[in-house]
Amino acid sequence: MSAEVKDRITAVQATIILANYTIAAGVLTLPRTIVEASGSPDVWISIFLGGLISFLLGLVIVKLSQRFPGQTFFQYIGKIIGKPLGVVLSIGVIGYFLSIAGFEIRSVQEVTSFFLLEGTPPWAIVAAFIWIAFYLCRGGINAITSMCRLIVPITWTVFLGVCLLSFEVFDLNNLLPVLGEGMEPVWKGIRPTILTFTAGEAMLFVVAFMDKPQKAVKVIIAGTCISTIFYVLAVVATIGAFSIDGVLTRTWPFLDLVRSFEVNYLIFERFESLLLVIWIMQIFCTFCVAIYAAALGLSQIIHRSFKSCLLALLPVVYIVSRIPPNVNALFALGSGIGDCMLILFGVLPLPLLIITYFRRAAS
Amino acid sequence: MWNEVIELIPSWGVVFQGIMIFCVPFFLLRTISWAKAKEDRITTRAEKATGSKGGGVSSVENSGETGILEGPVKQSSSNVVTKDKGKRITYSGHFEDDLQKFREISADMHDVNVRELRIGSIKTRAALLYVDGLTDKDKMDQNILKPLMNAYQPFMNMNNKAEAKDLQDILIHEILLISEVELTDNAYLSLQKVLFGSAVLLVEGISEVFVLSSPKGATRGIQEPESEAVLRGSRSGFNETLSDNTAMLRRHGQSTELAMISFTLGKRMQKELILTYIKDIANDELVEEVKRRIKTIDIDDVQESGYVEQLIEDNSYSPFQQIQNTERPDRVMAALLEGRVAILIDGTPFALIMPVTFGMLLQSPEDYNDRWMVGSLLRLLRFFAATISLFAPALYISFLSFQPGLIPTKLAISIIASRQGVPFTVLIEALIMETSIEILREAGLRLPKPIGPAMGIVGGLIIGQAAVEAGIVSPILVIVVSITAVSSFSMPMYSAGMTLRMLRFAAMFFAAIFGLYGVVLFFLLLSSHLIKLKSFGVPYLGLAVPNRTFNWKDFIFRMPLQFLTGRPTLLKPKDPLRKG
Repeated sequence: MSAEVKDRITAVQATIILANYTIAAGVLTLPRTIVEASGSPDVWISIFLGGLISFLLGLVIVKLSQRFPGQTFFQYIGKIIGKPLGVVLSIGVIGYFLSIAGFEIRSVQEVTSFFLLEGTPPWAIVAAFIWIAFYLCRGGINAITSMCRLIVPITWTVFLGVCLLSFEVFDLNNLLPVLGEGMEPVWKGIRPTILTFTAGEAMLFVVAFMDKPQKAVKVIIAGTCISTIFYVLAVVATIGAFSIDGVLTRTWPFLDLVRSFEVNYLIFERFESLLLVIWIMQIFCTFCVAIYAAALGLSQIIHRSFKSCLLALLPVVYIVSRIPPNVNALFALGSGIGDCMLILFGVLPLPLLIITYFRRAAS
Repeated sequence: MWNEVIELIPSWGVVFQGIMIFCVPFFLLRTISWAKAKEDRITTRAEKATGSKGGGVSSVENSGETGILEGPVKQSSSNVVTKDKGKRITYSGHFEDDLQKFREISADMHDVNVRELRIGSIKTRAALLYVDGLTDKDKMDQNILKPLMNAYQPFMNMNNKAEAKDLQDILIHEILLISEVELTDNAYLSLQKVLFGSAVLLVEGISEVFVLSSPKGATRGIQEPESEAVLRGSRSGFNETLSDNTAMLRRHGQSTELAMISFTLGKRMQKELILTYIKDIANDELVEEVKRRIKTIDIDDVQESGYVEQLIEDNSYSPFQQIQNTERPDRVMAALLEGRVAILIDGTPFALIMPVTFGMLLQSPEDYNDRWMVGSLLRLLRFFAATISLFAPALYISFLSFQPGLIPTKLAISIIASRQGVPFTVLIEALIMETSIEILREAGLRLPKPIGPAMGIVGGLIIGQAAVEAGIVSPILVIVVSITAVSSFSMPMYSAGMTLRMLRFAAMFFAAIFGLYGVVLFFLLLSSHLIKLKSFGVPYLGLAVPNRTFNWKDFIFRMPLQFLTGRPTLLKPKDPLRKG
């Protein structure tokens, strides 16, 4: 049932959804993964390039979605490559979204268990999170948008404030010399960027809800820019504080950055609790968008109501989140998801777009 | 590789947990839909406003109705439900019989008096029926008895026996000095009118009796509303008489577009309800939806406006109120000018305003009476106070129980030092203090005047101090709890303060179970609920609409009046600009 396509969102709301979806668990781990891959402090250039590539991929997806106004990916894929293949692809996309959701919530659980609640069983942490996300997602895309809009002022100000405060421990020398080893590390650093920077796939269904789909291109430009800036800030601040050797040894470098400085003249001395609070809220939004997408896809494939699909997916997400036995496996899962994303949304949409041109030309 | 895959398959424990994660919301949803189905079978509130325009769906059929009062003389409506509907006792015109009928049906009501008289020169017999204390005796004497008994002039050109029709005509138009006259031949209706304060005149030969309205019960004058005091602003509040309230409203807003539609509520005791709005501002769908919901009210007696509020609100299971109540006419007027709709009910000074958005709970009309800087700062202060009153005990519990490392070092040391020797966990300690404050607050409402202030001081300071010295609670907690209590009273709306008090306990439990993570989750849960809540089709938090700047101009900061040119777009008013 596509009853939910009655909801309409504006371009600004779509941008906010996109930006919130992209700024996710990667903020805490990207500094380390990207330095592991490239080995040099020029990774901020990689991030810009990665943002560009992500934008291009997203553009293809946007163009694809714009050819079928008012329909989500799951509805029009059958028209492009035929129903059975379309169902297979849709199930792949649903699985991808579920994996993202599971990955995000597992990250929340790992961070919370490590920093905040040491004795609490993981299922309790995850269950509360899932239930509240379920409650929100039942309200449809408008509820998710409103939640994103609600937390945007809070999270963005705290994030920027924390980055600014971290200038205390910032040492520019850690980032120099720029391009000291040439462009080679930059290319190597792009891969983890794209894996973390998953933006385009949200456009698979967001465009269907927009009341002016022609603005979707602006949406993806703005969304990608915002998330790129956030990631660049996070990485620059972290590497500047720790240097690349320091970053490699920490599991959650950005969080350690926040723990590494103290402010004596404000109420709070240490800001890690504040950062954890906003990070949890941010992941909540990402999780909601991912699980909404998965439930939307499922409901449109098997033609059941959205809300029952949402309910049915809850245990699946939980089980997915429990699959990695430890943190290392979790990060391996993360890169695995990133590879899938490259195939599903990097390689596939372009041929699909070309096929649609031919079909239109034919009909 | 196969081994690795097998290792990844989740264990039975995980699968079981997954099933539980599915089951809990499933059963919750089942329970809620069962409860809603039960409720819908009893009432007719099934269709709630879910329209895309502010104000709800227009799927309403208007079944005709209500009395808009017209003219001084009207035939009484027969939708009045009287006790014995089957027997319809009517007056015949024969004096002795009619009087006997009336005495029979008022046999148990000894406060009904009968005053027999003879009309003027024609010496027709008449009887005046009234209730002592409800009618204005002076007016009755001067305007009814005196002209009736002294009626020589109108009958000068007539014989002794006048025609019934002519007599009725002369009585109404020349003799009775009363502004509202009704005619009826239904005995029960006349009894009802007598019991409601009118005087009924029974004249020999005329089969209909005259219902002369001259009620004057003892009422409270116009006083300052106690529950909503402001420093600068008008000091008159509504009182219990509906006509006084509508008059006050009309005086406040002398406009030809102020509509007042009246309804009658209550099966046994009838009360009048007036729905008021400004015709060229309020959204039509909203008005229709409110009317539809009022018509679904089916209750014996509407004792207070709270009954109406609970029967017509969108979501009774939400802790947030979706209809605002107020005693102040200036607040009602300001709301009407924004495009909202108000309800006034006979017998209570509290008027209802709908729809409500979250901002209204934090705003007070006097924000506009002062200059913009003062208004904005006060609103910021109230917003801050609301946050404190909701989260302070929860944050205290979460920081002390789970994460003392997150508070500044010196503060952490002093808090923990002061908590030495306290026998309870943080949650129990906080619950003890919070519950005591709630009991004190509730008791303080009912204390007689001489003891009241003394008890406040005793309760607040001495018991708190004594508890600290006995080692039951820590001094920091006393500070936290008292700041919280004071903050919750800074809300301009008492009901909003009550909501925050309730939610504070929920926040404390979340904090006790999950610590800071729990506080975050509680915040997310609360926001999700507020986002999904709608009041008469208008989203509560107002975030689902395109971001118009002039909505934000009035939320926390109050821009100077020159900039507040538009009405809130959420309500989709017909006239979006305030000026011109």
